[in-house]
Amino acid sequence: MSDQTPDNKLDRRRFLTVVGATGAGAAALSGCTTDRVQKLIPYMVGNEDQIPGIATYYASSCTECAAACGLHVRTREGRAVKLEGNPVHPVNRGTICSRGQAGLQGLYNPDRIAGPMARQADGTFKQIEWTEAITLLVTKLKAAPGRVAVLSGQAPGTFDTLLEGWTRAQQGTLTRWEPFGHEPLRLASQRVFGRDELPLHDFAAAKHIVSFGADFLETWHTPVEQQRGFAQSHGFTQGPTAKTVYVSPRMDLTGMNADAWVRVTPGTEAILALTMANIILSERNRAPADANGLRGMLGGYTAEKAAQQVGVTVDKIRQLAREFASAQPSLAVAGGVGTQHREALELCAAVHLLNYVAGNVGTTVKFGAGVTRGDGYAAIERLFGRFDKGEVAVLLVHDANPLYALPKSGQFAERFAKVGFKVSTAAVMDETAMASDLVLPSLHPLERWDDIRPRAGVLGLMQPVMEPVFAGRHTGDVLLQTGKQLGGTAASVATATDYKTYLQNAWALEAKRRRAADAVQFWRDALQRGGLFDVASPSAPVRLSATAQLTKAVGATFDGDGAYTLIAAPTLTMSDGRGANRPWLLELSDPVTKITWWHWAEVHPETAKELDVREGEILELTTPHGTIKAPVYIYPGIHPGAIAVPLGWGHTAYGRYAQDRGANVLDLLGAQDGNGFLPYQSTKVSARPTGEYRQVGKTEGNNRQLGRGIAEMMPVEAAVKGLSLRQFYEQEGHAEHEVNTEREQGAIEGFRESQLEQRKRGGYAEEHPQWGMTVDLSRCTGCSACVTACYAENNLPTVGEEEIYRGREMTWIRIERFWEGGEREGEPLEARFVPMMCQHCDNAPCEPVCPVYAAYHTVDGLNGQVYNRCVGTRYCGNNCPYKVRYFNWYAYNKKAFPEPLNLQLNPDVTVRGRGVMEKCTMCVHRIRGAQHTAKLEDRALVDGEFTTACAQACPSGAITFGNVKDPASKVVAAARSPRGYHVFEELNVRPAVTYLAKVRHTEGQS
Amino acid sequence: MFTAVPKSTSLFGDQMRKLVLLGGGALVAIIAAVVLWRPSSAQTQDPVTVARTLTAADTAAFRGPTQPILFRHDLHAGQFKMQCQYCHYSANVSSEPGIPSMQTCMGCHLVIAGTDSTNQAEITKLRNAWRDRKPIEWNRIHFLARHVHFPHDRHIKALGATACATCHGDVTRMPQVFKVNNVTNMGFCITCHLERGVNRDCTACHY
Repeated sequence: MSDQTPDNKLDRRRFLTVVGATGAGAAALSGCTTDRVQKLIPYMVGNEDQIPGIATYYASSCTECAAACGLHVRTREGRAVKLEGNPVHPVNRGTICSRGQAGLQGLYNPDRIAGPMARQADGTFKQIEWTEAITLLVTKLKAAPGRVAVLSGQAPGTFDTLLEGWTRAQQGTLTRWEPFGHEPLRLASQRVFGRDELPLHDFAAAKHIVSFGADFLETWHTPVEQQRGFAQSHGFTQGPTAKTVYVSPRMDLTGMNADAWVRVTPGTEAILALTMANIILSERNRAPADANGLRGMLGGYTAEKAAQQVGVTVDKIRQLAREFASAQPSLAVAGGVGTQHREALELCAAVHLLNYVAGNVGTTVKFGAGVTRGDGYAAIERLFGRFDKGEVAVLLVHDANPLYALPKSGQFAERFAKVGFKVSTAAVMDETAMASDLVLPSLHPLERWDDIRPRAGVLGLMQPVMEPVFAGRHTGDVLLQTGKQLGGTAASVATATDYKTYLQNAWALEAKRRRAADAVQFWRDALQRGGLFDVASPSAPVRLSATAQLTKAVGATFDGDGAYTLIAAPTLTMSDGRGANRPWLLELSDPVTKITWWHWAEVHPETAKELDVREGEILELTTPHGTIKAPVYIYPGIHPGAIAVPLGWGHTAYGRYAQDRGANVLDLLGAQDGNGFLPYQSTKVSARPTGEYRQVGKTEGNNRQLGRGIAEMMPVEAAVKGLSLRQFYEQEGHAEHEVNTEREQGAIEGFRESQLEQRKRGGYAEEHPQWGMTVDLSRCTGCSACVTACYAENNLPTVGEEEIYRGREMTWIRIERFWEGGEREGEPLEARFVPMMCQHCDNAPCEPVCPVYAAYHTVDGLNGQVYNRCVGTRYCGNNCPYKVRYFNWYAYNKKAFPEPLNLQLNPDVTVRGRGVMEKCTMCVHRIRGAQHTAKLEDRALVDGEFTTACAQACPSGAITFGNVKDPASKVVAAARSPRGYHVFEELNVRPAVTYLAKVRHTEGQS
Repeated sequence: MFTAVPKSTSLFGDQMRKLVLLGGGALVAIIAAVVLWRPSSAQTQDPVTVARTLTAADTAAFRGPTQPILFRHDLHAGQFKMQCQYCHYSANVSSEPGIPSMQTCMGCHLVIAGTDSTNQAEITKLRNAWRDRKPIEWNRIHFLARHVHFPHDRHIKALGATACATCHGDVTRMPQVFKVNNVTNMGFCITCHLERGVNRDCTACHY
């Protein structure tokens, strides 16, 4: 990370453009001192929509992945300060993931380029004027009719229509491409059901879920929506929860949330799926009549044969099939990048059949929404084939970074160079932009007008929420301007002078189509809502294709003769690599390994013994396609015959945060088309310990609970009976994790009495709300959206890898991940997550030790931390049993927000300086803000009127916040659950945070 | 506790301000100006003790920092009885008081050029700044540390529309604004909160 210190001499013109000026706008720019801002600079013309000090929200759409969730962008003084979910958007319903929130750091990324860049004769880039750039592009286009190609990311909508028309006018070809395009699933849908689309999955309705390596909580398909559904069916309310089984050689975050992880031999998932389908079909047929035709095809897949190939016992396979068939409806999913091997298409087809024979197609698996993710890898191959033949003279790359996201072994960079004139619209100089001749930086989605149609029935709008931070230009405008200048057909496509008008024209047509009385009002309503959302989710009836041989599985093949199978693992933080320049995502510890800021190689403990390596030792990984180095992370959740390296690291450009950070696992992969998709998991790798060492920057302490009872779990049977944890432990015949002796208990009671006496003094005796929180561990998936929300809301600085080594991360809320079992081969491995934040204890141990009363108890039950009183003795941190107090060792705020990242800071929250202890405040500024509004309106606070940033972001709805004195509040209802417990209850600190024990299916574990 | 400020008789309320802004200036501003403009001799009771003809050169003698333009609160808020919130438009709706935009100034001064050469000189500075699209950089007088959150609207609700003087002093008598109360000192806040028996919790203001 850069050591650049942001100076506070923000160029005045920029300051006015971006911020406008008010006391608050200025106040947020610098640290904690009082002597910097001495000037008050007024607006020239005030903005009627913006009142200083009051947040204005704009509805928009997220473009960080193809799911296109709805956003509410909070702006203050004319700048975006936080991205929140749009509550009425059907995809995400008001919640948002970490990657989505980090979109804000794409807007304020300090490495965005300030204008068009043209390559000079000597190979360097020079910034040029926009008019000059457009003229240059037009000249090149004029000279290359029929030899134009466009490579675009997947964003169906009005822009896509314009781009298509524009490309056609040049007689060019348009290729749409997403690295994580889930082509196998789409191709399998085509093959099995004759539908060229990705199905949508109803996780909420499923009573039993089996995922064949589809990481539906991380990168696969529409993660936020799926997580919401999963929390509904797998989270505990009263009845049995949906048992979830994860079939994959690697336990990723989704696998960690499953009730059972079936560790299969890499590449054999399809055999298992077909065997399960065979068992279901022969044992208990609920399948549609036409599935009987599958008997012949499936007949050969017996449990006995499969057991050998897959590495799972016969009984286990039978159990999997029977459980899947007996739950109605159930759901099987496949097609994640983590299992995208050479047999991925067969796997997806097999899972389609499995769903079909179990009668799930049409109930939990729905077709008809027309979801696609680009034209697929085959189209990329075709496009680069045209480069090879010299058929392309001008190439426009928009919203795609092929030179990073394609394996090096495919010689894509060399083939790209064969194109005469390459234009990129990247806002940051990424790998593709660096190899281009002209870069026309596009506007960030938060700065521009646009729409996106991720599926039928959802049409999201985007609007500029602020003035552009950098002098980019909407690519839509570039297309319209070049179209006009080119004349002919291109001019006829450019039906408007600017893209906003073009978009509004398209929407006027939409209004007409929907018979809206007033097109202007229609537009305004849609803009306010965030788009057009049809309530009913489309569902088209599908039937099996007539083809006899729909799929067959023999196990995937792998290149090379290394001893281990390489798993190029998609991760929640990096995904396909576009998050690599967002410091929030780099500092966010990977939910599986808890590693920050660097990549790693996951090695099974057995394998580590075999290789004689320890954590942090650098392995040299070699495949027939290349070699990279990665530090070892010993991980019990991986097949001993496999080594996993995360995708998304090792950029060679893409700004200060991403560049040269780790190695790119794609360098190890072959580029051979796996029949329509890139087979990420298709190489064997050999590992050689180098003897070098690199500390792994992980944020975990001891990953075992050691009887501390931090993350409690209850089997689903006990939970259904309504047992409390204590009752459950008694029933099990052993004590709770730790029990105070009678004498200790007496002392605790006595102390409690005296504390209650204390509470009758002063302001504490008055009627005040008591703020409290519950965290339902049966819903928490460890996805860490709350962590990023807290970073955004509370101006948490990222501290960088070096400081992480010293345990100095500033995560006010962190996800603790503990392992249970898995210590011996064959023993099931279980992961438990606990979001850990300040518990706002009634008897807080931190309070009495503060010599300056900086830590004190507010009358409304918060553990207050007064920064201006704090002198940094750190006694409170030492005395905190939960270790949730974080000390600002250096002026992290100076380093973490290089201009213009400082504009993301929330003016409602103090930016802490050096030497101050800080911690979760339960979003006290939101509490005070809501109380303030209520007072102004002469009314009482209403439960649910506001919530904390973490609770607001959580896609699972695991966190509930409210006044525990209000018997009708949601938090009281949640805390009444018999599953409720306090972490370290025996310390008698009386936390305000109640955890509800995780609920798990434990029967039949092998 | 409060300095009595004469009740405003001006038409300038929030609505009028919006009209001025919406009209973009000229006509509305002229009407407004005609209604508002009363020569000082017409005033029966003149609360202003200093002469109307002050030059920038005189300001050195005044308390408080010299401003780029000698903007006279004593004339605007005192003699003309403009409401504070005409310019500080968000003080009663937001935690922030709002610094008037240049357009707010020009709403009147597009027409009002000043009666004598000294006033004219100051107004010319404003007009030039407007012409050059360069906002005036005012010297800040009152500021709180950044770890303090002071909601203006709440205090105005509690203390009334004339509450400004409680902290800012009687600006109707100040040709040049100066700091009357040391608002940076927490004791100043606490004194009042003690007197009134209102919230003194740390996290009421510090978060």
